[in-house]
Amino acid sequence: METQNFASQSGNGTHATAAIMAADSPILELKGLEKQYFGTHALKPTDLAFKAGEIHAIVGENGAGKSTLIKLLTGVIPRTGGDVYWRGEPVALGTPIEAIKHGINAVHQEVVLCPHLSVAANIFLGEEHLRFGLLRHRNMVRDAQKILDDLGFDLPAHATLSDLTIGQQQLIATARAATRGARFLIFDEPTAYLTRKEGMQLFALIRRMQANGVTIVYISHRMEEVFELADRVSVLRDGTLVGTRDIADTNENELIAMMINRSIEQIYHKDSFEFGNPILETRNLSGKGFENISLTVREGEIVGLYGLIGAGRSEFVTTVFGRYPKSSGSILWKGEEVNIRREKDAIKLGIALAPESRRDQGLCLSLPVSLNLNLPVYPKLSRGGIISKSKESAQADRQIADLRIKTSTRSASAASLSGGNQQKIVIGKWLNHGAKLFIFDEPTVGVDVGTKAEIYRLFSALLSQGAGIILISSYLPEVYELADKLHVFRRGEMVASHQFKSASHEDILTKALGSAPANPILSGES
Amino acid sequence: MSVDTKEPVISPKKRYNILFGLTLLALLLVLWLILGLSTTTFWTTNNIANLLRQGAMIAILAVGQTFVIITGGIDLSVGAIAGFASTIVALLLANGFPIWAAVLITLGIGLGIGLFHGFGIVKMGLPPFIITLATLTSLRGIGLLITNGATISINNDEFTNFSRNDFLGVPNLFWMVILVGIPAYILLQHTRWGRYLFSVGSNAEASRLSGVNVNRTIYLAYTLSAVCASFVGILLATRIGVGNPTQAEGWELQAIASSVIGGTSLFGAVGSVQGPLLGAFILATINNGANLLNVNSFWQRVITGVLIIVIVYFDQLRRRRK
Repeated sequence: METQNFASQSGNGTHATAAIMAADSPILELKGLEKQYFGTHALKPTDLAFKAGEIHAIVGENGAGKSTLIKLLTGVIPRTGGDVYWRGEPVALGTPIEAIKHGINAVHQEVVLCPHLSVAANIFLGEEHLRFGLLRHRNMVRDAQKILDDLGFDLPAHATLSDLTIGQQQLIATARAATRGARFLIFDEPTAYLTRKEGMQLFALIRRMQANGVTIVYISHRMEEVFELADRVSVLRDGTLVGTRDIADTNENELIAMMINRSIEQIYHKDSFEFGNPILETRNLSGKGFENISLTVREGEIVGLYGLIGAGRSEFVTTVFGRYPKSSGSILWKGEEVNIRREKDAIKLGIALAPESRRDQGLCLSLPVSLNLNLPVYPKLSRGGIISKSKESAQADRQIADLRIKTSTRSASAASLSGGNQQKIVIGKWLNHGAKLFIFDEPTVGVDVGTKAEIYRLFSALLSQGAGIILISSYLPEVYELADKLHVFRRGEMVASHQFKSASHEDILTKALGSAPANPILSGES
Repeated sequence: MSVDTKEPVISPKKRYNILFGLTLLALLLVLWLILGLSTTTFWTTNNIANLLRQGAMIAILAVGQTFVIITGGIDLSVGAIAGFASTIVALLLANGFPIWAAVLITLGIGLGIGLFHGFGIVKMGLPPFIITLATLTSLRGIGLLITNGATISINNDEFTNFSRNDFLGVPNLFWMVILVGIPAYILLQHTRWGRYLFSVGSNAEASRLSGVNVNRTIYLAYTLSAVCASFVGILLATRIGVGNPTQAEGWELQAIASSVIGGTSLFGAVGSVQGPLLGAFILATINNGANLLNVNSFWQRVITGVLIIVIVYFDQLRRRRK
């Protein structure tokens, strides 16, 4: 079968027709494709064939290797082994430009466009309309408007991109890829920031592109979307391709079992502790991005904050931590009202924050592991400002051993570590600090399952010492299984609170999504 | 003793830094050797003393500059501050101030300029490039306004003799490098504020969330740089015997070049004290040698440019391969 298809393809030559006619032949085929970082596999050798014109969903937990796969296919990172065949021809995919030249494009969850430029300029970025070497501004705006109108997007082509919502920008990014002769388009969690209407527009656009012969790879962890859109689905777990199914031959339970492959109890190890006195209490706390949040964290308790990205959870905790000023309300620490103006005040009280983004907020990547681990405790490691080198090294070595951080030496740069080990630094730097309240903001994003389990065990160790924990997660099973009390956030407000496992997943999800869920299917059926 | 290496006692990174320092030192010695062999005038007490004096001032500027570059910033104003400080100290001496008072006041003005830079960056949110560029042009202007364009000569022999005199056979100006270099080294490598300079340069937000006072760290870097620059201005006044706000023109670029040759990364979070010191003396040697060899002084500038590219390129190659 395959040889026949290849023969017909090379015989007829024109790409577009080949793609549509040879609908069952692989347009892109991976053979033993792999990616290693410093000896650790981010993606183990993978064989996968994408059929021309299909919508192929890829599902998997955070850290399963989805983003690695996208980056390999779009030429953002080089592979360390295996081959990739584009229409039967081996390709290097060494640079993004090469991938785009073949027609491989990606629409990322976070929009990668130029926010200061106009919509039209973004759509034609790199392929500007020129006359005598000069830009044809009006021409481009007109064409861009036509593209947007044709797609049914009610958006002005002359507007500055940053004036649009993230969801609208996402649509622009999609439109941009669609107009560039993309033959193979990868969507990475595209609906995360979209409203319901925008989600429906996006789905319509995807189907339309499929009808035009474009092959779509759709990455999501929303099962309903996968079953609504996809023809086939592949499951990744811990950097391994577990399997590929026709959507008609599978169901949600099977996919979840493939994604996890272990009982939930095994991962979410939870010990229960007697709750002690309140550590932190907020009363009607408001600030940038959240309003009227009242909650209490007691000794030995995990308080979970669940919601979609942008629901105000991170803003709430960073404000408690003194990063941003509160606008009203009060914060009580061990029953007494406190004024936290700076991070230092919070740290002095005994609050530790492991922030959401390792790269942007958590680590000094270019600097040694030991410096990163010791950054909050240098005042304790020094006398009159002079650092005791022996204390510094000993402290770092102890942390590395306690947390089982895999690193060649303590002076290796943080950038040389795997994501899981980097996360251990972000968390670990607070452990010997005598903190009483630990705030973990998405602590297991991009972390392998083994590290996850270690992080959860760490929670127990902290609780047993009488600490309290605020756990933020966008991954419902995590907060659901771990939190003694679960607060649901939506658009900066706390919309529901539940005791440990007192509500169903569906209830919580509905609350988090609100009356207008981002997911068109959910609302379509209910 | 066997030579084969077993467990590495020091990390590859540290070893690389030591290797890089030794390479610079070797380059400096090779330059000196070549110049010693090719000219009769290089290895004379006079010339070496002269070279050390000339290199000393750029070296001190480069140390201050390095603090700023490590935080990911840049200080374009150091040449202008040096020129301005030379004018101030000359004016104070001409008005009968004792030396110690004139020096302290001038250093205090440097401190004030540094604090102003910190204020502009932290409170006004201006990019370091902009605020220090503004100081560069306006300080020269203020100096000219104060002096009405005139050069202030210094008649205080005690003051001007300082730069001519030696201590233990080494020019006083070179001792000043050591006077600045050792505390700078201790600050950068052995105090927590040194660690914070690096951490802010690597990731200011992560540092802030770890409880580091990022603003204070930025104030510290720019204040150190400005104080170093005003100190250089005083040394310049002792050496030339006049104060003139247009002196030390382009020295900021020589300071940045010395720092970069010495292994400082303009992206921040990478740098040392010894590297920029060596860098400054390599530049001073090239200038000195070119003079002795009767190389057109225009070529000296070209050579400096080429040298920057070559050294930084090799450094980049090594880092990338790692």
